Amino acid sequence: MGRIGIPLERVPDEALLAGLMTGDPEIAVAFVRRFQRRVFGVAIAVVGDVQLAEDIAQQTFERACRHAQVYDPRRGSVPTWLAAIAHNLAIDAVRARKTTPVDPADLENMMETITDTPERHALSTETAVELRRAVGTLPREQARALVMAGIYGMTAQQVADFEEIPLGTAKTRIRTAMGKVRASLAARQVDHD
Amino acid sequence: MTDNSGFSCEQLREIGAELALGVLPAEDRAGVMDHLEHCPACREYVHELTATSDALLDLVPGSEPPVGFEDRVIDRLGLSSVRRPRRRVQWRRFALAAAAAAAGLALGGGGWVLGASVGRPAPVAPIVSPVQPHLLTAQLAHAGQSFGQVYLYTGSSPWLYMAVDADGHSGTVRCQLQRADGSIVKVGSFTLNDDGYGSWGGPYLAGTSPVTGVRLLNADGSLLASATFNQSYG
Repeated sequence: MGRIGIPLERVPDEALLAGLMTGDPEIAVAFVRRFQRRVFGVAIAVVGDVQLAEDIAQQTFERACRHAQVYDPRRGSVPTWLAAIAHNLAIDAVRARKTTPVDPADLENMMETITDTPERHALSTETAVELRRAVGTLPREQARALVMAGIYGMTAQQVADFEEIPLGTAKTRIRTAMGKVRASLAARQVDHD
Repeated sequence: MTDNSGFSCEQLREIGAELALGVLPAEDRAGVMDHLEHCPACREYVHELTATSDALLDLVPGSEPPVGFEDRVIDRLGLSSVRRPRRRVQWRRFALAAAAAAAGLALGGGGWVLGASVGRPAPVAPIVSPVQPHLLTAQLAHAGQSFGQVYLYTGSSPWLYMAVDADGHSGTVRCQLQRADGSIVKVGSFTLNDDGYGSWGGPYLAGTSPVTGVRLLNADGSLLASATFNQSYG
């Protein structure tokens, strides 16, 4: 009787995560390979330091392995879950360093990347395309506030200091930007239901 | 709605975005959690904002970690001692990457992006992984209707995973394994939501007799769907 199988690429993310819980090294390797760019990308974007970003990315996989059983697919995909873990760890690391949350040049680069035209991201998911469009159509100062808070984990006070604006204005920009993006995603959801 | 602590829905809407983004200072969070506990509408509002916040991270570009990252993660997970020999794997990666480079082709289609080389972030060498002899899949079906897919991993730590989409069914379902010796063992149970969707995965005992199929039973014991593997595996 011959032994055949399927390539690991055909295994859904959730199945790979289920396999990760068993501690099988082959599955663990496959899991890390599949998501390492995503996880490291978030970490390096936030902390801007390769060594620290690697440590955060390693911690992310460690946590994923430990907490795989609490993953809930209704609350987001596996890559989204992993990105959120990496992001939280990265934000904690930045806050612990007590340094400037973001370099102005890095912020500008991130703004360009995030509001880039969808045509250059042909492989993006529909949600990502819609999100990119929604962020791209925000007034520049609102998009900046959203990126500073949402990507770099800056508080409204830090945004206010960085932009040299009143705290209330920073809060309004964050709130308004999030409201618009949420509404845009919700509208897309309705269109698909 | 204003709760016992005097916190209102309007106040929540003012700070909900910062809360969802994780940037609301601790002193401003006082009262928020109490309010959320008692206000389903605000809970849903914050839930949507949190999903938006998570989605923002999808716009952050991916980046290759430094060379050796994968090995260091596996070490950190305590799995390096049981990992298969690296020499063969590395040779295979090199051979496939070299073949792709020689052909001047990028092997896409969901291929892995593997690192190789030395120094700085690893260059991208997309390849398609080979077939995994321990990894099987079969359709869950009943009376000609598809109800989802099962994945069975028969390696050293066997596990299975299934995604079920059974419109018209809901509630608890039980999963059984069928073996070549005719035995049937229960391996777990899980819940299908009101739309009939559910997924579940977990380990199972390797046993001495190979697995030939998976059965999914309704709460009353009737068969919901089954999957048969063409070959028998432990």
